[in-house]
Amino acid sequence: MNRKPRRTFRQRLFTVLESLPFLAPLLIFLAILYGMLAWTLYVSMANWVGTAPNYEFVGLKWYQMMFRLDRFRVDMTNNVKWLSLGVLPTVALALFLAYMLEIGSVKRIEGYVRTLILYPVAMSFVVTGTIWSWMYQPDKGVLNTILRAIGLTELIGRYTTNPATATYWLILIFIWQYLGFAVIILQSSFRTTELQEMVEAAIVDGASKLRILFSVIVPNIRGGILILISLLLISALKVFDIVYVVTFGGPGYSTDVLALFMFIATFQQHLVALGAGLGMIIFLMALVIVIPYTIYAFRKWFE
Amino acid sequence: MKKMTPLYSMLLVLILLLSACGPARTPTAPAPAVTIVVVTATPAPEPKKLEIFHWWTAGGEREAADAMFKAFKDKMPDVEIVENPVAGGGGVSHRVVLQARLSAGLPPDTWQTLGGAELKSYVDGGYLEPLDDLWAELNYAAVIPGPLAKAVTINGHPYVVPLNMHIQNILYYNKALFDELGLQPPATYDELIAVAKAIKEARPEMSPLALGTKEKWEAAFVFDSILLEVGGPEHYVKVYKGEVDVKNDPAYKEALQKLEALIPYIYPYHAGLTWDESCGLVVAGDAAMVLMGTWAIGYFQSRGWTPGKEFSAVTFPQKPERILLFHPDTYGLAKGAPHPKTTIEWLKVVASPELQIPTDVTQGGLFARIDIDPANFPDPIRRELQTYVRNNPDKLILDQHGSIAPFSFTQAYWDVIAAFIAQPNVDGTLSSVADLLTTYNVKAEAAWYQWP
Repeated sequence: MNRKPRRTFRQRLFTVLESLPFLAPLLIFLAILYGMLAWTLYVSMANWVGTAPNYEFVGLKWYQMMFRLDRFRVDMTNNVKWLSLGVLPTVALALFLAYMLEIGSVKRIEGYVRTLILYPVAMSFVVTGTIWSWMYQPDKGVLNTILRAIGLTELIGRYTTNPATATYWLILIFIWQYLGFAVIILQSSFRTTELQEMVEAAIVDGASKLRILFSVIVPNIRGGILILISLLLISALKVFDIVYVVTFGGPGYSTDVLALFMFIATFQQHLVALGAGLGMIIFLMALVIVIPYTIYAFRKWFE
Repeated sequence: MKKMTPLYSMLLVLILLLSACGPARTPTAPAPAVTIVVVTATPAPEPKKLEIFHWWTAGGEREAADAMFKAFKDKMPDVEIVENPVAGGGGVSHRVVLQARLSAGLPPDTWQTLGGAELKSYVDGGYLEPLDDLWAELNYAAVIPGPLAKAVTINGHPYVVPLNMHIQNILYYNKALFDELGLQPPATYDELIAVAKAIKEARPEMSPLALGTKEKWEAAFVFDSILLEVGGPEHYVKVYKGEVDVKNDPAYKEALQKLEALIPYIYPYHAGLTWDESCGLVVAGDAAMVLMGTWAIGYFQSRGWTPGKEFSAVTFPQKPERILLFHPDTYGLAKGAPHPKTTIEWLKVVASPELQIPTDVTQGGLFARIDIDPANFPDPIRRELQTYVRNNPDKLILDQHGSIAPFSFTQAYWDVIAAFIAQPNVDGTLSSVADLLTTYNVKAEAAWYQWP
């Protein structure tokens, strides 16, 4: 038997102490992150209403109330709309745009075009939100004024003032803002040497451009696509600023989302426990939707 | 095993942290306040300082805040005023910052708050000192209207000093247009509809009534006025005290139906506009009337409109009684305030005509004191309102905006009413409102308010 000699307690303690200075930043980070999370979870089960903290434990009282609210139902529906319609069209559009930039006559001016479509990413949502609310304004806004000027009066819309469609117009802003970012990520995954060689081989074999995109490029940039989707999912899930700036949840509460309701419940309704509960719902949605997806995406990537 | 050690220590820290978050943690508000006193070291004279939170940062309001501080400086020239103004209409962001300071046990000396439910939330939190002695010393209850005193008295104690009253139910109108079309300003709902019809016929491009519901409360203003006429003042108070079975209440239903009938005359894209933008529609000639509070006078003037010339105003409705719906801006004394003596001096100035005259004239409300001469107002609209209040101090009701019912309810209520104006559904709204009244426990939370 050639067993390793058991280390003494002193030795082990020394190893721990030795690693502490290096672990400290990580520990502090984790303590803040998960400490706050645990605290939020506790507050969501406390009876904190009003400005003074109240830590009396009331179990799931606020969650039960939340599930009965019509506003919560609207929020969940809207968040699902954001997650689906905010992400998939962005990826599809970005794929075509990135491919267009890589081939054909556009390639010569690619550098300029890329800068142009990347600009919206550099702007904060508050700025984009303000700009787009001027675009959408039904009365004097840019879109309707143009439509009126060219005589297409039947296309004039109510945009974000129509409760039935307002959310879709907000999602369009999100797509516009993230499109450039998505294009850059996809373009960078195009540019591996292997993929370039494969594309060249396909061209020699006489494959059409569309065929190259779907049969050569897409299967080989799965990693990039998956990373992009998970980043967009996270952004869509935590959406707050666009809604806050453009509609403030209106008309009524038809464009409300969980993050906005969390803000309103906590700071305007003074229902801090309910706000914390909504925060937990957002966290759970992130766990359920985003995290498994991210893990899956990373696995695929490193396969 | 070797690799696992850091992980275990991490888990240990986490577990310690989690256990620290248990219910044993109770708010220890007074403790940090004590430490502040200790920090100042010398026990005897209090530093000549006043820390104050307010939300008057917008154009017009900033000037009012300056007038306020000038009045204080005239009395107490050696006091340093530390302002913490937080921008944001109606104090939305102000409350976020203030709440953090209060729950951390680091209160400013005094802060701006509305009366009613907002004040009650600070009193319930134990953040304010009762001011019975100060009120007795100033004999303040005798110089302000009874309903105003009641709006800042919680559980029998006055907690703040009001410095103004904003009136909510005022109908502003384009005077030139009304003169041209030979219209009289409406005093009742039926007259409002008739006037709106006449405007629609003469000016099809124009919306008779401007409205902006982006911040939602504006929608409730319109509804409040209709409800006040249909049900009368006592019914209005009862509704917002949660004492009316809204679902089966004929008056409430009738008010909703009347609001629905008014919608065709309301600016159709109201969901995207804030209150000032909706007043802007009137100035631009896109709308003829707007229901807004006294603060709109300042807005119209800043756009170059003179009261009594380009625009004029009436309170709406005038039947069955001419009631003014109001809410005050007030200041109180924080429990554990770092400079309580200076703060009491400040509150005395707040109660004085020397502060109220320049501040209220600039900011847009009415004077809280009814012994101030209404002629101090430069505009005929507020001169008339102040005179009315002076002669009829009991015709005031605390509005739902400011408010009778708790914030948890009013906030959700505005959303429902704004949604109704965007997409009317009388029965659905009736049951939503009834549901909100029970969910947010309005009956118990608003029991403090007494009217008349």
